[in-house]
Amino acid sequence: MNFEHCIRCTICVENCPVLRVNPDFPGPKQAGPDAQRFRSDREKAEDKWVLLCSQCKRCEMACPCGVEPAQIILRAQQRYGLEHPLSPAHLLFANNYYLSTLGSLTAPLANRIAATKVGKKIFSAMGIATYIPFPKFRFRTLRQEKKTRSRRSRKVAFFYGCFINFYRPDIGRKIIQLLKSFKVDVVLPPQWCCGLPALGNGNLALARSFALKNTASLSNYIDAGYDILYSCTSCGLCLLHDYQGILEIPQAKKITENTYDLHEYILRLVDDNYIKPQFQEVPRKLAYHIPCHLRALGIGYPAAKLMSLIPGLTCEILDDTCCGLSGSYGFKKSNESTAIQIGNRAVAVIKKTGAGAIVADCGSCRMQLGGLSGLATLDPAEVISEALGITLEKKRKS
Amino acid sequence: MSVTEYDVIIIGAGVAGLTAGAFLAGRGFKVALVTSGEPTACLSTGCIDVCSRDHNPLLGIKELPPAHPFHLVPEQTIRESLNNFQAAMMDMGIPYAGALTENRFVLSALGTFKTSCLVPSTMKAAPQDTKDSIHIISFRGLKDFYPSYIISRRKNTKFSVYDAGVSSTMGIASHFEEKEFLESFIVWLKGQNIDEDKIAFPAVLGLESAAEIVKTIATRVGKPVFEIPTIPPSMPGRRLFNALKDYFRKKGGTIYWAWPVVGIEKAGRLIEAVVTQSEGRPNSLNARAFILATGSFVGGGLVAGRETITENIFNLPVHVPGPRETWFDNDYFSFNHGIGKAGIMVDSSLRPAGTPWENIFVCGGILADTEILKNGCGHGLAMATAHVAAKSCMEYIR
Repeated sequence: MNFEHCIRCTICVENCPVLRVNPDFPGPKQAGPDAQRFRSDREKAEDKWVLLCSQCKRCEMACPCGVEPAQIILRAQQRYGLEHPLSPAHLLFANNYYLSTLGSLTAPLANRIAATKVGKKIFSAMGIATYIPFPKFRFRTLRQEKKTRSRRSRKVAFFYGCFINFYRPDIGRKIIQLLKSFKVDVVLPPQWCCGLPALGNGNLALARSFALKNTASLSNYIDAGYDILYSCTSCGLCLLHDYQGILEIPQAKKITENTYDLHEYILRLVDDNYIKPQFQEVPRKLAYHIPCHLRALGIGYPAAKLMSLIPGLTCEILDDTCCGLSGSYGFKKSNESTAIQIGNRAVAVIKKTGAGAIVADCGSCRMQLGGLSGLATLDPAEVISEALGITLEKKRKS
Repeated sequence: MSVTEYDVIIIGAGVAGLTAGAFLAGRGFKVALVTSGEPTACLSTGCIDVCSRDHNPLLGIKELPPAHPFHLVPEQTIRESLNNFQAAMMDMGIPYAGALTENRFVLSALGTFKTSCLVPSTMKAAPQDTKDSIHIISFRGLKDFYPSYIISRRKNTKFSVYDAGVSSTMGIASHFEEKEFLESFIVWLKGQNIDEDKIAFPAVLGLESAAEIVKTIATRVGKPVFEIPTIPPSMPGRRLFNALKDYFRKKGGTIYWAWPVVGIEKAGRLIEAVVTQSEGRPNSLNARAFILATGSFVGGGLVAGRETITENIFNLPVHVPGPRETWFDNDYFSFNHGIGKAGIMVDSSLRPAGTPWENIFVCGGILADTEILKNGCGHGLAMATAHVAAKSCMEYIR
């Protein structure tokens, strides 16, 4: 922990989306390095306001001195979670994976209940915000896809994550199609929630148990010569950053070294001359909302690079605004107003571009921005698939 | 086809780096900018100091010691760089007032005058002498802004305090962006029946649309209104950074945030790539030329050890102004700290002197012999040398 490297320049403060709209949060400098000097193992944590941090990591990206305020706050959040009983919403969202498994098994019923007034009241009573609709569970999740194998030189194990699996398996299927069209073998390894929701809700032990299971599973695939791909940038950040960091997973380094963002991987294929994608014209104007966690991965914006190769497509990059939802953060009643205010700022910036639809790598960003703006939202993989003429119907015919 | 190859890579996202980047990108070059965090420009007053040694900055520059890097910039290029800057900022909605032949004053939060050349339009109405009577509006709970400091130095000066409901700089600035807040504030301000000639504010009047907000208040109250720069978080500094960054992007540049450069790839007299550290594995970015604009000590371009000063990206030789005992003057507030002369020595094309490298160009605060504090030449020197570096770079690539 390098909180002592902080020179108190306040650049992080200027970047904090929560501080701008919620005066109860003292900001990354005070909640992070400043307060760290006063935190003692011998005293009970009393800094409840650390829970107001949405873990967007924008402070870490901005810090010129390499201090990681969000990391310091994340640890304080875990400690607070350990020493104090948290709200039912925290408990539910930490266990989102199990909840979603149940939700998708009972999809028609669960979706219907969630959309009713009674359902919303129940949500509200549990401290869950309902200003944007809760995503719909899908009965046919991605993990039920049949395995296909051939003997191609490039093979990947796809860590699809909870959002794609439970809510948008169609995007997952498109990604598999896309990779196959690039002569890449895809398998779906056994996998659990990445652990980030548990971490974000102050449940370090649960996050760790998810991480250990995933690491054991993915590690086998790495040994068998597979690269690991993720498309959800928050899963990616957790796998790459938190497994070696706060979760202290023994084999984390191996995971980190062999795990790639989907578009980063495709770019490598292009650079290695393994593929020469022939993009068709996509005459659209899109606003590319860069998810905070894509920024935090420090891999640049690979999907933006790929989309820049598509003729006819204009894609304006917007990376100064956070969507405000931060996974389950905005779904908690206590953060609702903060999340809406941050989100509306992002929507204002998007609307200014005059774009017809929003692109974002992160499912929860899309949920929030689509919900607040009424604009259509797309995963970059959907745009790239469109430019390559890949559709799911086509797959069924062949 | 490589998608991670550029014509020019710029290291550093400060005024120099972004200016050089926009210049080159605007002329059709493929430009990427890598940075490890946000620049010290964010902490600045947003004013463009060119040279404070004379009332006419151009004459002041002529008086600078022979080793000063301003002497490497033709007067025409200095004019060009400031003209380009003013046009760019007008385009981005944060107009700058002033002319290269005449310095002007900005009232500081201590009641003293700061000399600068171009100032944000929000500071244009600042008094240029001690005659104007001033009414200062401060905000309840706002830290580090005390009107009494100014009143103790100026006659005919009064102050009032407004309760904005929040007390942080970011919070107040965000509120000013909201129409209803601005409206109720103006109603309150009119009710104060201010007699003084001018109305002053700490620089918290909005973030994105400050110029408009200041104009609105001035029109509605019927008196000149101006902002007084504050210590960080500095809204005028942030506005400047945001505008330069957006302008660079608008010209077609790519920015890689949080990519600290950890190594280089070289061949003979050429740098071929910079290696940046991201989670898991290093990334190489190839380019034909490189511009080093990492700033001085606070910006992280120069690192001081006990006896030595180093530049850690290309390991360029650093001009060190004598042994350590000469680095600092006994008077903390002195302008004559020897360390102000430390930096990279360059030839007339801004290539680092005494090195074999053909394709590195250096600009901005990292240059040797600038003595920025003493000569009052921060952002102005950065822009002017950025133009020279960009032009040399263009010539080299052709």
